[in-house]
Amino acid sequence: MNQVVFESVGKVFRHRPALFNWLGRERSGETVALDHVSFSAAGGEVVALLGPNGSGKTTTLKLISTMLLAEGGAVRVGGFDARRDGNKVRRQVGIAVANERSFFPRLSARENLDFFAALDEVSRRERRQRIEEVLREVGLEEQADTLVMKFSSGMYQRLGLARALIKRPSVLLLDEPTRSLDAAATGSFWTAVRTLARRNTTVFVATHNFAEAAALASRVLLLHRGVLLADRPCGLHLSTVRAVDELRELYFRLTGSDASGEAESEEDFEESLARSAGAAS
Amino acid sequence: MSSTLDKLAVILRRDLLTAIRHRSGFVMTLAGLLTELTAFYYLSRAIGPGFHPDGVAYFPFLLVGTGLYTFFVMSAQAFLSSVQEAQQTGTLEVLMTTSTAPAELIILSSVSAFAGSVTNLAVYILAGVAIFRAAIHANLLACVSVLALSLAIALALGIFAATFQIAFQKGSALLWLLGSGLWLLSGATFPVRSLPQPLVTLARMVPFTYAIDTMRSALLDGRPLGAMAPTVATLAVYATVLLALAMLGLSVSLRRARRLGTLSFY
Repeated sequence: MNQVVFESVGKVFRHRPALFNWLGRERSGETVALDHVSFSAAGGEVVALLGPNGSGKTTTLKLISTMLLAEGGAVRVGGFDARRDGNKVRRQVGIAVANERSFFPRLSARENLDFFAALDEVSRRERRQRIEEVLREVGLEEQADTLVMKFSSGMYQRLGLARALIKRPSVLLLDEPTRSLDAAATGSFWTAVRTLARRNTTVFVATHNFAEAAALASRVLLLHRGVLLADRPCGLHLSTVRAVDELRELYFRLTGSDASGEAESEEDFEESLARSAGAAS
Repeated sequence: MSSTLDKLAVILRRDLLTAIRHRSGFVMTLAGLLTELTAFYYLSRAIGPGFHPDGVAYFPFLLVGTGLYTFFVMSAQAFLSSVQEAQQTGTLEVLMTTSTAPAELIILSSVSAFAGSVTNLAVYILAGVAIFRAAIHANLLACVSVLALSLAIALALGIFAATFQIAFQKGSALLWLLGSGLWLLSGATFPVRSLPQPLVTLARMVPFTYAIDTMRSALLDGRPLGAMAPTVATLAVYATVLLALAMLGLSVSLRRARRLGTLSFY
């Protein structure tokens, strides 16, 4: 069964200038963040969302988490509609946002996790054990009782992952999860994601890192200006240096970010992907 | 139910730990309360012992009026600040993805913010009695009942301010209205009947006026609930209607913010 389903999902952000904007240059307008995007992901799949800034990666994650509501189409998680059954969707979804400061600065890491676990309805009896588990998984045991206001960016990021894991979600959403992590922490993180996928957790990773996408993902969704340009399997054959280069090249060609500035068609992309797979094997 | 109590416990713990670890803020709040009280004490002395608004000495009159009025405004302010801070840090968006329904989360958070305001009110009244010898003859049951209704009204105001903040990023505008416009009509520092008739009529539409009036009667004159039944009933109606409207407004504004993507705008 598909854990996450997008059916022709549209999302538009409308901008209105400030009320007294006679002196400013701000104008009203709208940005199409997602334009009739459709895809689905099964339990245990790791889906990488690739695309330039403003392509709709974070919007996709926010729609799954119910932080945002779609205007058109339907988002379903575990069979529940995100618009109608928001609470049931939220019970299944854990999200690690790119914003590092979304914690209570004068609480320790352990106290922050206890707070969010309680709101995620983890029973008091279970909380202590789960907090220890997730702190160990993200390598923060030694900083468990440090106030998070003293944390570095990387430590915030690890704590964000711990927070997302504490409710044992069936769908895990990660927004640029290794942006501030060192090489060792990134390696451990990748191992943790693979373990979660083996336990049937559906993982979405929004990233700009091709190596990460190739190393983790079983599928790649390539977004550009809110349009889903490609939805293709990305097997282990891509976890080679060559395949990562191929993926990078395809990305630049398809999003029109190469030297010519012209975007490729999806058919060309398929052909290139087939070449890439052949080369790697 | 146990889950809700558990959530309330962690929210109270979070706010208590944050307050304790913010030692300077705690001390400054206390110093502010005492300074305000001292100023009102000397104001009442300057006016002289002959002024007995509503039949009570002026200092106790001020003590209850300003204490309860500050309680209303500070409760809404504390709650609004917590929402604004959560928007600025991005915590609000994350909180809205937890398994707790947004309305439940907001109410539990406001209970915590208001617990601090009740403590401040208690310290203010007790300091007025202990340090400045304000004479009180309290009817405890009536006081607790009026306080409970006042809390419900303050809760509604706080939720209204949060709704304005989420919908228009202007929760502070509502607080400005409370802090200035309604101050005139609330009878916090002088009897409402001193105002011109149109303003008296207007004042009779403000719930603060009823709350302050009944609290003075309960705390300073020891009047029982039965003797104040019509005013208490009016307060109860205000509390029920305002809370229902506030919850509806909040629910609509949260949904709208989710649709527009403005949940973290401030």
